[in-house]
Amino acid sequence: MEVLKTEALTKIYGEGESKVTALDNANLSVRQGEFAAIVGTSGSGKSTLLHMLGGLDRPTSGKVYVEGKDIFTLKDEALTIFRRRKIGFVFQSFNLVPTLNVYENIVFPIQLDGNDVDDKFVNEVIGTLGLADMQNRLPNQLSGGQQQRAAIARALATKPAIILADEPTGNLDSKTSQDVLSLLKVTGQKFSQTIVMITHNEAIAQMTDRIIRIEDGHIIKGGEPND
Amino acid sequence: MTKVNNRKVIDRFSFRELKANRKMNFVIILSIVLTCILFTALASIGGSLINGTQQETMRQVGVDRMAGLKFVLPEDYEKVRSDSATRDVVYRIIVGDAVNNEFRNFSVEINYAGDEDTAISQFCDPTTGRLPEGYDEIAVSTLVLDALGLPHELGTVVPIILNVDGEVSEHEFKLCGYWKGEKVAMAQECWVSKAFADKYAPTLTERFNTLEHPVYAGYWQVDFNYTNSWDIEGKTDALISRLYDNRENAPDVGINWAYTTSSVDGDMIMGCIMMVLVIFAAGYLIIYNVFYINISANIRSYGLLKTIGTTSKQIRRMVRTQAVAYCAAGIPLGLIIGVFSGKFLFQAIAASMIVYSTASYTINAKLLAMICLASAAFTFLTVMISCRKPCRIAGSVSPIEALRYNETNIHTKKREKKTRKVSSLSVARNNMLRSRKKTVIVVLSLTLGMVLVNTLFTVLKGIDMDKYVRSLIVGDFVIMHDKVSRNGDQNAMITPDQLEYLNTIDGVREVSPIYFRSGKLSFHDEPLVRLKTLCDQYADTDKYGSLANAKENNSIPTDIYGITDDVLNVLEPTEGKIDPTKWQSGKYAIVNTYYLDAEDEKGELLYSVGDTLTLSSMKGMDEDISKDFEVMALCEMPYAICTQSYYLFGGQVIIPESAYLEMTDNRNAMSVMMNADENRFDDVDTQIRYMTDRSDSQVIVKSKQTYLDEFSDLIKMIKLVGGTLSGILALIGILNFVNAVVTGIISRKRELAMMNAVGMTSSQLKKMLMWESIHYAALTATGTFIIGFLLDNVILKNITEDLIFYTYQLTFMPILICVTVLLLLSAVIPNIAYRLICRESVVDRLREN
Repeated sequence: MEVLKTEALTKIYGEGESKVTALDNANLSVRQGEFAAIVGTSGSGKSTLLHMLGGLDRPTSGKVYVEGKDIFTLKDEALTIFRRRKIGFVFQSFNLVPTLNVYENIVFPIQLDGNDVDDKFVNEVIGTLGLADMQNRLPNQLSGGQQQRAAIARALATKPAIILADEPTGNLDSKTSQDVLSLLKVTGQKFSQTIVMITHNEAIAQMTDRIIRIEDGHIIKGGEPND
Repeated sequence: MTKVNNRKVIDRFSFRELKANRKMNFVIILSIVLTCILFTALASIGGSLINGTQQETMRQVGVDRMAGLKFVLPEDYEKVRSDSATRDVVYRIIVGDAVNNEFRNFSVEINYAGDEDTAISQFCDPTTGRLPEGYDEIAVSTLVLDALGLPHELGTVVPIILNVDGEVSEHEFKLCGYWKGEKVAMAQECWVSKAFADKYAPTLTERFNTLEHPVYAGYWQVDFNYTNSWDIEGKTDALISRLYDNRENAPDVGINWAYTTSSVDGDMIMGCIMMVLVIFAAGYLIIYNVFYINISANIRSYGLLKTIGTTSKQIRRMVRTQAVAYCAAGIPLGLIIGVFSGKFLFQAIAASMIVYSTASYTINAKLLAMICLASAAFTFLTVMISCRKPCRIAGSVSPIEALRYNETNIHTKKREKKTRKVSSLSVARNNMLRSRKKTVIVVLSLTLGMVLVNTLFTVLKGIDMDKYVRSLIVGDFVIMHDKVSRNGDQNAMITPDQLEYLNTIDGVREVSPIYFRSGKLSFHDEPLVRLKTLCDQYADTDKYGSLANAKENNSIPTDIYGITDDVLNVLEPTEGKIDPTKWQSGKYAIVNTYYLDAEDEKGELLYSVGDTLTLSSMKGMDEDISKDFEVMALCEMPYAICTQSYYLFGGQVIIPESAYLEMTDNRNAMSVMMNADENRFDDVDTQIRYMTDRSDSQVIVKSKQTYLDEFSDLIKMIKLVGGTLSGILALIGILNFVNAVVTGIISRKRELAMMNAVGMTSSQLKKMLMWESIHYAALTATGTFIIGFLLDNVILKNITEDLIFYTYQLTFMPILICVTVLLLLSAVIPNIAYRLICRESVVDRLREN
């Protein structure tokens, strides 16, 4: 089943001479349960693509469908709510709320929605990610790897349609990177999550199901699911 | 050691940083501008008030020189002139007084103006014509001409009845000059020629203080300035020591009390220091706050600078350079707005009070320059002191910490945090708690501002006109002989005829004569013991033998007052209770004893309730009767209806009218207290004045209304100035709040974007920010209520307890208003600020470091 689909997605920054086409007519499709890596050099447009997949940024033209829904028909407020229900983000710099403890951070999007927390599920996620002992800690008392695991747990907790990870290992050493990525992959499989991840690390990219290459705003390889 | 010339780089970098940070700059400069406006506006209002009252008081005193020697000889004048400390020395020669009947409402002095500037220094320089030269020429004020009914025309014949130390002679002068008379002046001046002065008041040779019977004519009055008006008293004291070896020979000196700085007293200095501190605190709070927040917001860039090798010292220098740049931008703007708003405010103030001439109150260029200079210096100082701590924080940042810095890193003692349900409110609360120090600083600064506003308002609200007027007058009217009121002449009385007239006035509710005579209060038993103790205790202060006399005769001189029941009702006993039925019996008296040099008020109380006193009239007046009374209560005779003069050591005994009239056949009253029917006040006033305004009448009337009118102008002025001050402080407090909220939001741009990214909607975010503001407002309100209550109820109440024009009232009105405003702003500001940061996309905000 197709979870994520883009149609002729284009993003242009600036005007006239300073005009930059960050993303040019990108077509992409991701299936349920896939773990895909978007790979490209810096400035290739991969971050722009990811931001648009997550509804953080609006395209100049083109469409993004998440579970068949054209997300940019939504107004900002509705888009935010859609994001917190359907999309889990994992950032390079973890982006945990500094005043909330690990558990609160994990359930933050759920509670923002005013929903009750599915404790069984969340505990399972926490257990899988090895965070059980540090649920009450504040983010600044965690190591980088631990913080990223907490961020992954947060992304999983809402049972989103898709998890978008923006260089999730960019701030981590190689050993920790391997660990975190393995965990991401394992949990993705366990909870049958669709994950799209940005990286410029080939080794990391090789751990995924599919590699999407992007250069100068064009998807040059891997736009369609492997068959 | 090599000196590295890196200043230029640092400075250039500082300015680059400034340019990059426009929003923050605006906030900081705005706060500097505000502080500067506050200082400048206050300084110019204060400046014009002080300068204006000084000018007006000078006109009242009748001289603009700082100090003067009284009744001296030409040699003294030369001495003063040759002293290096004195400036602008002038003299005049006393000739006498003009005692024409037309002048009974004011004093008219006849003098000779010795120096060119004498007349100018006395505000009596002829604006038309000139000073007299010929023997029969005279220069007078228009008030003198008006009183005599003469035209304002040079050459007019001016009839003057001259009193030279008791010798009265009549003269006809020719008017050679006149000027507009000052109504406020204590005396009107008439200038005569040297020839005339020489004839009637030839210069003397004997020193004034060696005279047995004082004469004044022929003595010189010498007035002079010093380089500045600071501590004129001290300077004059030093001058006298320099000029006269023997202090006994030294002439009397006069200090011009128009100069507020003439005597340096502790209270005044304390008052000024307090005032300056309040303003300073207000400025400090707002600027400190902004700098602190600014540095928190920029801490990463400081960390970055450190990682590339910038030293703490260099960073501190950068922040200081930026502060100076902010000042350079903010102060001139603040000065301009401050001067104009000060002028504008002052016009409002001046419009509400009676000023003799607005000219006295205009700020001249010199004063303006001083005000601007002082305000600029003061603002600059405030900024530099305010940014010291933030400077240190910026300098002491560790590079790694700073790069990670997200405010959580400052002192979180708790390693763990209990899990609670997340909502906009709880996140807001966590945010408040995370940087407790910042929260405390913001709340404290807001609280302090509000407390100041509230206390100031309480002070203003407590000013009690009625209470003040009650200390000046009892009843609606007091009628009294002019000589009693002016000279304390106890023999000048209101006759039974006059009393009768007053009784016939339409609309009068009551006419209560107050009878008075001098007498003797004799002591025995317990009070006598107290008397002796008092005499012994103060024996060394007894210069005039009043204590010794009292001890020898077991008696003190006393005022005896006979009063009606109406007057009895206005008495407020300090001890004992007034019982009207007992009072009727005529066996009771209300008494007050005093020794003016006593330090301890309790020690003067020679009687207590229940003691017996013996009252007798003075020898030589009526027959010598003695009578015993029992003390019913202790109470002072209200100043407005007493003789208004005091013995050094004496008493006041108040007895019922009936008992008084038994002691004497004299039916003259010393004063009369009158009350009018409601709404008939003006009517009664007119009718009383019909009697008192007759030219042969020497009786004057004081009405409550005139005091109220007089006082209400002063009150209006105080309230306006105070109101303006508290308004400005409240404004600063509110802006401080806005500042704290806005900068708090702007500096957390990235964090808010991140929360938005993980699904917190804008409305949830706004709600959270709103809750934060509400927390600030609520904490501030609580703090203000507590501190304000303590400050007002404990300190202010005690200070104001003894003030005659003040009734303490606790009020929280301003706090309630301010808190309402803060709450309203809490609803609006976060919305606006959030919208402001939302101009950048979430992605951009997330990318920002």
